[in-house]
Amino acid sequence: MLTVAALGQPELRARLRGPGLRLRTGPFISCIRSSVPALGVALARMYGDYPVLEDDVPADFDVLLRRPRGLRRLVKPQVFFHYDGMEPFQPLPLAQLYPMFEWAMNWCVSSHAHSWLVIHAAVVEKEGKAVILPAPPGSGKSTLCAALVARGWRLLSDELTLVRLEDGRIDPVPRPVSLKNASIDVIRAWAPQAQLSPPVADTMKGTVAHMRPPQASVVRADEPASPAWIVFPQWRAGAPVELVPVPQARAHLRLAENAFNYSLLGAAGFATAARLIDATRTFDFSYGALDDAMAVFERLLAERR
Amino acid sequence: MTALPLLTRVLRQPPSMAQLGAPEWELLLRQAVAADLGATLALLAEEHGLLKALPPRVQRRLEWERRGWQRHGQAVCFEVRQVQHALRTTGLPLILLKGTAYVAAGLPAAAGRLFSDVDILVPKASLHEVEGLLMAHGWASSHHDAYDQRYYREWMHELPPMQHMRRGTAIDVHHAILPETARVRPDPALLRAAARPLPDQPGLFVLAPCDMVLHSAVHLFSEGEYDHGLRDLFDLHRLLCHFGANEPGFWKALSLRARELELTRPLFYALRYCARLLGTPVPAATMTAAEAGRPNPALLALMDALFTRALRPMHPSCAGPLTPLSDGMLFIRGNWLRMPPFMLSRHLFRKAFFTPRNVKSGQV
Amino acid sequence: MTSPPIWRLAPGQRLQYRCWDGECVLYNDLSGDTHLLDEFALALLEQLKAGPQAAAQLAAAFELDAQDEDAVLQIVLDDLSALFLVEALPC
Repeated sequence: MLTVAALGQPELRARLRGPGLRLRTGPFISCIRSSVPALGVALARMYGDYPVLEDDVPADFDVLLRRPRGLRRLVKPQVFFHYDGMEPFQPLPLAQLYPMFEWAMNWCVSSHAHSWLVIHAAVVEKEGKAVILPAPPGSGKSTLCAALVARGWRLLSDELTLVRLEDGRIDPVPRPVSLKNASIDVIRAWAPQAQLSPPVADTMKGTVAHMRPPQASVVRADEPASPAWIVFPQWRAGAPVELVPVPQARAHLRLAENAFNYSLLGAAGFATAARLIDATRTFDFSYGALDDAMAVFERLLAERR
Repeated sequence: MTALPLLTRVLRQPPSMAQLGAPEWELLLRQAVAADLGATLALLAEEHGLLKALPPRVQRRLEWERRGWQRHGQAVCFEVRQVQHALRTTGLPLILLKGTAYVAAGLPAAAGRLFSDVDILVPKASLHEVEGLLMAHGWASSHHDAYDQRYYREWMHELPPMQHMRRGTAIDVHHAILPETARVRPDPALLRAAARPLPDQPGLFVLAPCDMVLHSAVHLFSEGEYDHGLRDLFDLHRLLCHFGANEPGFWKALSLRARELELTRPLFYALRYCARLLGTPVPAATMTAAEAGRPNPALLALMDALFTRALRPMHPSCAGPLTPLSDGMLFIRGNWLRMPPFMLSRHLFRKAFFTPRNVKSGQV
Repeated sequence: MTSPPIWRLAPGQRLQYRCWDGECVLYNDLSGDTHLLDEFALALLEQLKAGPQAAAQLAAAFELDAQDEDAVLQIVLDDLSALFLVEALPC
């Protein structure tokens, strides 16, 4: 199987500039095009283990990141994201090219992938059991996710939990884990062996960096997982760990609030969420120190052995 | 005429989907999404029994489109219910127009059709009452700029679009199908008189078949913007095919009604481009009768060139070097039919320089 | 004085719901919304599944006294009506 690393830089750039690089991330094939060299560098760094495909299978998403034409490109370096001839976002400064790529890839899935209930949540797995971590920005979900992954949990996703409509299992779509501001240094200290992209400052979310997923997570991208817990995290400086059960009907609604396409899916969305609540134990989780947090997750795992 | 874009060819002959390879599927899906016809493609595949034969990844893509459309249909039905409830004290029949009508009537034209506003037709004399009742039930008028308000109320054939404050849904209240200021003004009383009740939905009405087709033709061939040109043409095609097959005497009645409503020109264009681009089986006698609306040769040559471009999918793969200019000319032409020249230039000037720009324009 | 209305499930509501520990989530087939309801409201909806009934009949089915009927039942029925889960038919 051909990977990005095996492709080599010249071929990688040629595909990006020309017919498109066809990258597989979990269940999706994206046709990625850009003439900006920096994207090829970023993809080589972060996506080395990912499969590259030929054009004998139709791509699901068409992602074009380009610079404006003409004099504008000199005055104010910017990058645009185009999807099927449309521009879903405002352009961003060129320096934010790689974070924009990651946001664009998230947008493609969250806006279109209606074979799943797509929850805005991280999801990791160990010993065949998955824990879903839904959370609005600022809750520490991504830091927790990165920390768990660095301690041997398999990464299924850091932003997009795909719950199958037909049987409730979770399909992985592992991609680089996004980290913001203080959590960049926290994870650097926590996992010195982790590969991080160069931090990009002044984005809408502050300073942003991404952690390359372990190869073990990427090669197992075809392996679904069964959900066992839903944990709503909330990080607070100095807080002791606390795991508080959430009443199930309330958990259902909170899950729905955190799902991109719950309303669009109608009755199927309702049924999938309800099945997920039935299959899992749901908690509110506060923590201040990552070590304490890890212990709690290992304990949950031990209880289920 | 140059070769038709892939999407147009597929709409013309849906079974041809079964023969497409992976690169063609990619192109077709991209064109369809750009033209707002993604869900239509999904439903056409289903209607023609083709789904199972398509590549699994394509089936999955089409499923995504279908689900969005299903939810949309549910929302439309619910919205119509709310409107009906709000207007029940008027005693007026609730006449639905355009996409809303297709959905409520379960017409083939509804399959895959997405739209953002509910459209209704009321007598001009009832506008004030209708607006008041809608406001009492949570809708608020948009377009607060005094100029835009006047544009709608004095010159156009509809109230400024109203938006429901809690649900965010929009409603367009029409009192005619062409503006006050247009050269041709089909009498809305004739349209309302011919409106047909929907069998299982008391109080709901849609336009008579000929009127529905003529309204669609007017909407396409005198609107200013052609973002959804191919989609609107496909609506026409489906309406014509459905009524042609199911409504006795339809084709003959169509030409007569066009004359009665002074809409022979849009009918001429509608039949011409539907037949040429989508292969609509229009009987020869109807095409002949439609000649009454034929423009002079020079104008027709121009319109052929302009419309052929405008009715392509709005996707980079279909853009030719002349496209921006063509679209600009059609925009002017569209408004020319609706507003006399001096008012037109004033309106366009304002629209270009004072209307706040959005990054992405909304769906029609 | 008008006679009291007959209540029925809004046509099209299939009553898809799940209950856990006295709280329920219900999918509204008409609006597409999901509601959080208590067990009483759900039981009321299930009761109406059997057929249209007047408030008095509903009160009897749940063994409510007249006070409860006015205070609680009517409020719940009005709330459910506002959500398009039930509707009052004029007699």
